[in-house]
Amino acid sequence: MSIFKDLSNAMADAVETAAGYTVLVNGRQRFPASGIAFDKDHILTADHVVETDEEVGITLPDGTETSATVAGRDPGSDLALLKLAKGKASPAETGAPARVGQLVLALGRPSSEGIQASLGVVSAIHGPAHTGRGGLLEQVIRTDAIPYPGFSGGPLVDAEGKLVGLNTSGLGGGQSIAIPAGLAWRIAAELKEHGGVKRGYLGIRSQLVDLPNAARKSLGRAQERGLLVMGLEDDSPAEAAGLTIGDILIGFNGQPVEDHDALLAALTGEVVGKPTPVEILRGGKPETVTVTAAERVEAPRRERRRRMMWRGPMPRGFGRHFGRRGPRHFGPEGDDE
Amino acid sequence: MMSNLNGTLSAALAAAVDAVRPSLAVVEGRRMGAGAGVMWRADGLVLTNNHVVSSRRDHARVTLADDRQFRARVLGRDPEVDLAVLQIEAEGEFPAASIGESARLRVGELVFAIGHPWGLRDTVTGGIVSHLTTAHTDGPRRAFPVIRTDARLAPGNSGGPLVNAAGEVVGLNAMIFGGDQGIAIPSDLAVEFIAGLGLAQAEKEAAPVHAEWL
Repeated sequence: MSIFKDLSNAMADAVETAAGYTVLVNGRQRFPASGIAFDKDHILTADHVVETDEEVGITLPDGTETSATVAGRDPGSDLALLKLAKGKASPAETGAPARVGQLVLALGRPSSEGIQASLGVVSAIHGPAHTGRGGLLEQVIRTDAIPYPGFSGGPLVDAEGKLVGLNTSGLGGGQSIAIPAGLAWRIAAELKEHGGVKRGYLGIRSQLVDLPNAARKSLGRAQERGLLVMGLEDDSPAEAAGLTIGDILIGFNGQPVEDHDALLAALTGEVVGKPTPVEILRGGKPETVTVTAAERVEAPRRERRRRMMWRGPMPRGFGRHFGRRGPRHFGPEGDDE
Repeated sequence: MMSNLNGTLSAALAAAVDAVRPSLAVVEGRRMGAGAGVMWRADGLVLTNNHVVSSRRDHARVTLADDRQFRARVLGRDPEVDLAVLQIEAEGEFPAASIGESARLRVGELVFAIGHPWGLRDTVTGGIVSHLTTAHTDGPRRAFPVIRTDARLAPGNSGGPLVNAAGEVVGLNAMIFGGDQGIAIPSDLAVEFIAGLGLAQAEKEAAPVHAEWL
């Protein structure tokens, strides 16, 4: 019986450890949510629980009530970084990457009545996953630990209390997922430095197509697919660069583009607003044009909510619109909105 | 090595369940749906939820783990904290559970619930202590502590024990919110309630001395 008691104590210890970096985040009209101490004066939380751009109430693990301001947001990955007005937080320690089957605890601090936790296992790890808010997460973690109300923004931790991921129910159409700690930390660092994650757009409507054999040979690399340009937005970066319907986009910024996800991933960060070489097949011949991707406009909150639907891999024959207001799917019926 | 650890762990869990199982009772005290109960003392004192025994009755039927059935008298109730104390109307030594101190519970601790969800007898569900919180009422207490757990509970778990890793009863499962939030009444509250009833611990009658003829 003692090994069971040992495990039980270890789990309670893990909760205690993780409780030390889990804070209460009061930034919406409904009940408060949770957050994770990123460093001594920054809290990482879920973007959808911070409804205000004004002051956000924070309760630290020791009960200290303080406030924070928004240091940066990335609605695409549903992350927001808050800067503490005063008070010191003890930052979370990240653990080893998640493994399917490992024991995990989901934690939250949505009330002043102490830490809350639920137990489960890592059920699945998959990705890349579209967030439905115009973002693309390289990887997401699913768990069967119960997401209690107010757990969004809180940590998913391993049996030692180390951070495995950040829980959020704001991406999956009601389902709860966790953003892996490594990825969340990387985005947090970008938010701290730039206040946001730049996501660009070209203004093309495209469909995945097989490359002609001859073209494949002339490319001199093992690439079988590209994106056929089927439409151009008016006054878009693509139009300005002279891209035309019928071009097949095969590379962006020196990287091959073999599917929509690759382009979406490539349209993030530094390249936005910078002239970038784009490799295309025009009339079956490779050419390079220079495109300056423009920054995407975040859809208004109400519209964003409608888009918060989970989207898995896209069936063949359907395409994607890399538009000003973010990527959208389209099918035979037209745009899905 | 790994599977060995899992095996040891499973065996330890089974042992903890076995330790408490004999003291688990079925309590039938209302027209619809039986609840569970815990043999609290060896003299036949059974603890269950108040809502398991209809307020119009002062008796309930108690079935022990070994299938023996007894009539039990309601000794006391507290609707506010949802506790009822029953006394089996029979002499004997009953398998009492070992009672733990709920004040020592920590969030994250492993616990399991035993009961008869949907009438399935002796069903075990596992989880952790999710939250040590307070329930607010309109009654004289105004508020009392409760244990929230992520162990799955269903109708029929009512009155059944929430057990810690040492096999001790640390709570009485009482409510289910939203399908995934179980609430248990802490064992300390039950101990306090029983003490408040002013029941004398059943005194062991001095065994009569029989002189044996040799």
